[in-house]
Amino acid sequence: MIQKQTTLAEAIASVADGSIVALGGNTLHRAPCAAAHELIRQRRRGLELVKTAGAYDVDVLVGAGVADRVAAGFIGFENVFGLAPQYRQAAEQGRIQVKEHACYTVITALRAAVQGVPFLPIAGMLNSDLMQASGFKTVTDPYSGRELAAVQALRPDVAIVHVQEADEQGNGRIYGTVFEDDLMARAARRVILTCERLVSAEETARTPELTTIPGLLVSHVVVAPRGAHPCSCGDLYSYDYDYLARYIEACGSPERFQAWLDENVYGRVAA
Amino acid sequence: MATETTAVTPDTIMVVAMARLLRNGERVFHGVASPLPMVAILLAQRLHAPDLVYINITGGVNPLPESLPSTTVDPRLVHGSHVILRLADIFDMSARGDLDTAFLGGVQIDGQGRINMSVIGAYDHPKVRLPGGAGSAAILPTAGRTILWRTKHDPRTFVEKLAFVTAGGNVDRVVTPLCVFVKKDGRLHLESIHPYSSAEEVTRQTGFAVETEGVPFTPAPTAVELAALDAVDPEKVRLVEFA
Repeated sequence: MIQKQTTLAEAIASVADGSIVALGGNTLHRAPCAAAHELIRQRRRGLELVKTAGAYDVDVLVGAGVADRVAAGFIGFENVFGLAPQYRQAAEQGRIQVKEHACYTVITALRAAVQGVPFLPIAGMLNSDLMQASGFKTVTDPYSGRELAAVQALRPDVAIVHVQEADEQGNGRIYGTVFEDDLMARAARRVILTCERLVSAEETARTPELTTIPGLLVSHVVVAPRGAHPCSCGDLYSYDYDYLARYIEACGSPERFQAWLDENVYGRVAA
Repeated sequence: MATETTAVTPDTIMVVAMARLLRNGERVFHGVASPLPMVAILLAQRLHAPDLVYINITGGVNPLPESLPSTTVDPRLVHGSHVILRLADIFDMSARGDLDTAFLGGVQIDGQGRINMSVIGAYDHPKVRLPGGAGSAAILPTAGRTILWRTKHDPRTFVEKLAFVTAGGNVDRVVTPLCVFVKKDGRLHLESIHPYSSAEEVTRQTGFAVETEGVPFTPAPTAVELAALDAVDPEKVRLVEFA
């Protein structure tokens, strides 16, 4: 049997510079933050990040210079902290390329990849300036002649997803909201799974219907307790308001941000 | 209750006005960063719309959260739900015409009820990079109707014509701290002015022309509405939108 269970460092070492990386979770919830921190520690460069709605994970990866392209519907800290400071600055200074999606076009782009087709048509979108700005094209329905927005397939090189439980073969269980993590896992070429705790293969075999992420799609499994921190992880823990407040505060100047990274990311070795 | 003297505040009148717009039995959705819609929907369910189907971005359906979160993607918003939808399920529901009402925000809103959530300035070199419209470009044109809300009402927020249109579509009403707009014949028209504001203030703070003649005041929240609001949102989580 292939050995998939490994360290976070080894799993993240498999991500090449320039990769398209889909991140699981949504805004401040069940984002794969331990993995994001490891990408920063390993000084990965040139990543394209894919997410429907991101917050801390996308922001810190952009701020640390790991990502230079972002394809997402929404990047922000919601009403808790407002605009995403690093993402915003990088976009305003032209350091990153933003391909703004609607969340539904991210989902549709992943679905096209899942189905192995180059694009899929979608309802809505046509009266949005995102059509032009983000390069969405249209397609004519061959049956009715009606024009529809056509969303190009997006096949991430890797999806990084944090779940509550997984077995050593990467069969992952998500408790609570799945968001589109199951779709990401199927659209990507492979999955790196981080989990709060390992369960036995006997356990996943007993109730396979609880498996959300199929192990056959997973290349690496990492046990990473509190691996979504400072984001929430289902009902296990809430988002860490104080940590995020210190982060937002540190984003006020490049020097403070660097010091913050040194203390909270570079200075901490992955478990 | 005409003698009700409790001061009407922007957060209460906005939430109450949004709740009054909701109908019993309809399917209503809110997404990320939507504390006011969250409170308004729960309020409508408690008041006049017990059979309203409340769907939120966590995939929760008719949740009974034990306390309200400041982030509306919070796991608490699935508590009490009997199912958890995927995000795709929700957007598909709108796409095929099965979602009655969506709440969407707009950093800027124009006289045609279109929204900008993307950029201030040029798209490629923005002066301000905004969060993005989340699902709005797909939902605004496909949901049965959309209620927009914005907690700021000034001429830079309510503009005649947007430089960048993130989404446009089936807007029904726009609720602001000063008034309620209704969309008719492709334009936003003033429907009511909140009791503490005035035709003069709304005109001055709105970047597009508004007809104020004969426009009534928004009825102040009743004692029943205020009591229900207190029960739904005792910690006034809704104020996070006014911070």
